[in-house]
Amino acid sequence: MKSLFLLVVAFVAVRSDNDDNAARLLASKSILNQFIVEGKELTVEYSIYNVGSSQAYNVELSDSSFPEEDFQRVSGSLNVKWDRLAVGANVSHAVILKPLRPGYANFTAAQVKYYPTEESQAQQVGYTTAPGEAGIVGLKDYERRFSPHIVDWATFAIMTLPSIGFPFLLWYRSKSKYDVKHKKN
Amino acid sequence: MATSTKILALAVLAVLPLLMNASTCIGPQVTSNVYTTSEASMSISTVFVVEVAVKCNNGEKDLLLFADVNGHMVPATQSGTGKFQVSWSDEHKKLPAGTYGVRFFDEEGYNAVRKEKRSGTDGSAVTPIFTVNVKHSGTWTGPYVQTEFVATCVALLVWYMAYRSKSFLMS
Repeated sequence: MKSLFLLVVAFVAVRSDNDDNAARLLASKSILNQFIVEGKELTVEYSIYNVGSSQAYNVELSDSSFPEEDFQRVSGSLNVKWDRLAVGANVSHAVILKPLRPGYANFTAAQVKYYPTEESQAQQVGYTTAPGEAGIVGLKDYERRFSPHIVDWATFAIMTLPSIGFPFLLWYRSKSKYDVKHKKN
Repeated sequence: MATSTKILALAVLAVLPLLMNASTCIGPQVTSNVYTTSEASMSISTVFVVEVAVKCNNGEKDLLLFADVNGHMVPATQSGTGKFQVSWSDEHKKLPAGTYGVRFFDEEGYNAVRKEKRSGTDGSAVTPIFTVNVKHSGTWTGPYVQTEFVATCVALLVWYMAYRSKSFLMS
């Protein structure tokens, strides 16, 4: 799976003038949910790979595409940094959010800033991949489809009791009368 | 004279860690917050997120932490002064329920573990600055038996009992 998405990842990092011995970061952002449901956890995973020929310094990842009023933070931070990222190394970061409203949401890219060499003064700015638009299902619709409906089945069982219980009672009464007569004989 | 040189040597040894460039944390006070994936439909792989806030007795601000995650050394993400986060993910089957210990090292510890790993051992002899225990109660992949299945079975059972007593009566 990882090698597949590496092929798909977009090379949007701005080229630096010092390409021979500079760091180059590729970053991806992906939503790990099968279903995005209002009030349930939304798992976002970021991966940053250094495919350049030097260590990257002061790598900062900041994601401003989850406004506070629409997404509640459960775990993880949306603005993080790493001191260094070695050549050929990768880091992954996860953030857990809770969508507060159903509807369509457009998941856009997060920003990655870093210094490609130790002496460089200009910070390189790049972006992660964007998962794109996805729908956030309302909690009621999700539960209607996926919850075990135990209360509904119990109610149904109680409702069927009269139509099954009444004939059963009649039969039981007549059976017990018949048995008593048989014993008398 | 001998005692004064001894005292001098001891003083130098005591001051030496402070003079070293590598940042160390003496007497860390750690508060941790742990999250693990609870439902499989909310994530295609189980994700563990460990957030720690570290306060050092020596007031160290530029602390660099590395974490040992399942035998793999990763740098801890900095999410604020003294706040770090370590996250990792894997398939649901590979991360079953249980307690996972995450060891945190500073730069010295990290280099020591790397050295040990290069010489063949697994680096578990190095003492970490602190350890966080992650309790994972397993990822719920759905009920064992669907309630609809149970309801169907009960209905069939009731029907079978009625049919049996009816055929008994008729015979």
